[in-house]
Amino acid sequence: MQAGRSTALKLYLISDFNLETLGHYLSNGSTWPQVAATSAPFGQVFPALLHPGPDPLDFALVWTSPEKVVPAFGDALKSIEIDEDRVLAELGEFANCLHQAQTHFRAIFVVSWTLPAHQRGNNILGLRRHGPRRLLLKMNLALAEKLENCASVYLLDGQRWMDENSYSPKLWYLTKTPFHPAVFSRAAGDLKAAISGILGASRKLLVVDLDNILWGGVVGDVGWEELRLGGHDYVGEAFLDFQQALKSLRNRGILLAIVSKNDEAIAMEALNKHPQMVLRPGDFAATRINWNDKAANVAEVAEELNLGLQSIVFIDDSPIERARVREALPEVYVPEWPDDKTLFASTLLQMGCFDTAYAADEDASRQQMYATEGHRKLSRQMVSSAEEWLLSCHTVVTVEEQCDANRERVVQLLNKTNQMNLATRRLSSQELQIWLQQENRKLWAFRVSDKFGDSGLTGILSLEIRSEIARITDFVLSCRVMGRNIESVMVAFAAQHCAALGLQELRADYTPTAKNKPCLRFWMSSGFSYDEGKNRFLWLLRQPYPFPRGIEVRLPSLPVSI
Amino acid sequence: MDSSLGQTRANGFGCDEDVLKVIYESISDLNVQLSRQQRIEKSPHAVLFGAGGKLDSLGLANFIVIAEQKLYDSLGFRIDLTENDPFSPNAGHFRTIESLANYVSDLASRRTKAPQ
Repeated sequence: MQAGRSTALKLYLISDFNLETLGHYLSNGSTWPQVAATSAPFGQVFPALLHPGPDPLDFALVWTSPEKVVPAFGDALKSIEIDEDRVLAELGEFANCLHQAQTHFRAIFVVSWTLPAHQRGNNILGLRRHGPRRLLLKMNLALAEKLENCASVYLLDGQRWMDENSYSPKLWYLTKTPFHPAVFSRAAGDLKAAISGILGASRKLLVVDLDNILWGGVVGDVGWEELRLGGHDYVGEAFLDFQQALKSLRNRGILLAIVSKNDEAIAMEALNKHPQMVLRPGDFAATRINWNDKAANVAEVAEELNLGLQSIVFIDDSPIERARVREALPEVYVPEWPDDKTLFASTLLQMGCFDTAYAADEDASRQQMYATEGHRKLSRQMVSSAEEWLLSCHTVVTVEEQCDANRERVVQLLNKTNQMNLATRRLSSQELQIWLQQENRKLWAFRVSDKFGDSGLTGILSLEIRSEIARITDFVLSCRVMGRNIESVMVAFAAQHCAALGLQELRADYTPTAKNKPCLRFWMSSGFSYDEGKNRFLWLLRQPYPFPRGIEVRLPSLPVSI
Repeated sequence: MDSSLGQTRANGFGCDEDVLKVIYESISDLNVQLSRQQRIEKSPHAVLFGAGGKLDSLGLANFIVIAEQKLYDSLGFRIDLTENDPFSPNAGHFRTIESLANYVSDLASRRTKAPQ
C-alpha cells in the first residue's frame, strides 16, 4: 500500500447493531485519509470476521454490545448471579476470533465496551463483586490483555466518545442504532486518526510560539519575572498545565520546537530562569527566536530536523501568524487556537494528529536523539568538510536480522518513514511475516551510533532473490540519520551479501511518492546505473561495492543461502 | 397548517423563526454525514422525506434525534417529533422544512398551553 494514495481505503464495519451512520461519517468526510466503508451483514460478527468475503479489504472496525458477545454479561445486567469463568470463556472465544481474523485485514480496530448512562443499575453496588460495571471493567481489561499479542488488532477506547446524551433509545427503536450521531462523528475522527497513525502519517513535530502560548504576557515588555506562569493565578496555572501537556507529548516522542518573534537572549533567559517553567531549552529539538518571517522559520526548522512539512503542527496565538503559515506552508497543520487560555491544555490533548500505532523505545528517546543531532550539527560547523566531519563522528553501524526483538520497531519504521524510502510499502507486522515466509526473501535492520550518542534502529533493507538477480524491495532510513553515509553502508551490505551468494545483479526499483525525492537523489549518486523509463537502479555484482570509509560496520553471521 | 413562516408567533416562548433556525442548525449537523449529492439545502421548500426527498429512513431518524436535542436546548422542554409516525406515507410533517417548522411550532404551542 502506498502512502498518500488517492483511492479510498476499504473499511469493513462489523457490528451487532446498525453502524451505517458511522459508515456515512467516514465515507463522506473530507478529511484524509479517504475511507470507503461497507457494513457486514447485520449481527454476523463472528462469520464476518472469519469470512469477510472475496473482495480485498484494508481495515475492519469491530464494535459490539457486551451483552451480545458475552451473554453471561447480559445475565449480570438482569441481576442474575453469574460465574465469572463463564464470562472469561465467552470473551476468550471473541478474542480468538479476532486473532484469527488478522489474516484478512491490515489492521482491526475493536471498540471497547461501554454501558449507557441510563443503565445505572444499583449504583451503590455497581462496582462491588458481580456488579455489572465492575464486570465490564474486568471484561475490557481482559480483552485488552488477550489482544496484546495480536500485532494488528488495536483496542479503541469507546468511552471517549460518550456523554450523557450518547445513547439514544429513540434511534435504537427506530433503526437499531444505539448511539446519537455525535458519537459516530467523534468515533469517525478517532478512527481516521488511528488509520493515519498506522499509515505513518501522524505528525511528529509541534512548533510553538512563546508569548501568550507558553506563558502569559510579552517577555520582552515585562521581563521573565512578571510572566504569568503558575503561581496563585488561574491564568498562570492554565499556562503551566499547557506546558505540562506539551511535556507529556514530548515524553511520547513528539518533537517540540520554538518559533517566536522575540529577542533570543531575553526569551532564553525566561526559559532558563523562571522557577515554574516546565519546559527548558533542552526540551526543544530546534529553536528560531528572531524577528524573521515565521513561515520561513518553520521551513528552516523542518530542514534542520530532516522532517517533511506534513509532519508539523504549528501553534500560535496570533491569527495573522497562523494565516501566514497556513498560506505559505499548506502542508503544515495549523489548528485554530482558542483565545481562552483555560482551554489550551484540553485543546492540545484532544488533538488526534499525533496518534501512532506503536510506542517503541526510539519514540520515547527521540527528543534526546535530536538534541544529540544538534550537537552533531554544531560539531559539523567546526570541521572543514562534510567528509572530514563524518570521519570524526566514529560511526558504528550494526546489522541484524529481523527477529522477534526488533520486529515492532522494524514495522514502525517501515510504516512511518517517508523521505528515504524506496518503495514506501506499508505493511502490518503480520503482513511482513507472511512476506518473509518465502525462502528467497530476507530483511535486515541497521542500528546506528556514533560518538555523540545512539540513534537506535534506524534502517531497513530487504531483498528478494530470483535466479541470479537480487532486488532490493525495502530501502528505508530514518530521517534522523540521513546524510551520514548510512545509506551507502546499506547498499554496500546488500551488494556484498549478494556477491557472496554468487549472484550477478543487484536491482533497486524506485517507486516515486510525493515525499521520497531524497531517496531518488541518494540513488542517483549511488554509482548504480539508472534506467529512467523503469525507475530502476542496477549494479553488476562482479564489481565490488565497498563500505564507505570511516564507518565501522558490525555484520551478522556470514551470508547463508536465501 | 400555518404557512406564516418567517413571521414571529406570539406564543409566549418562541416563534417560527426560532424554530427554523434550530432546524437549519440540525441540518448543518446532519449534512456532515451525508454525501455532497445528498446534502439538504437550508430553504423552507427543501424536500426532506418522501417522493423527491433526499433522506432515507435512517437519515430521517438521525435528523429527528439531532433536531429534538437542539429544540430541547433552545426551548427548554422536550418535543417528541415521533408522536405521529414520521415514516408513515400519510404523515406529511417531514415532507419539507416548512411543513416541519409548522409542525414543531404547533407542538410547542400545544405544550405551552397545556395545564402545568
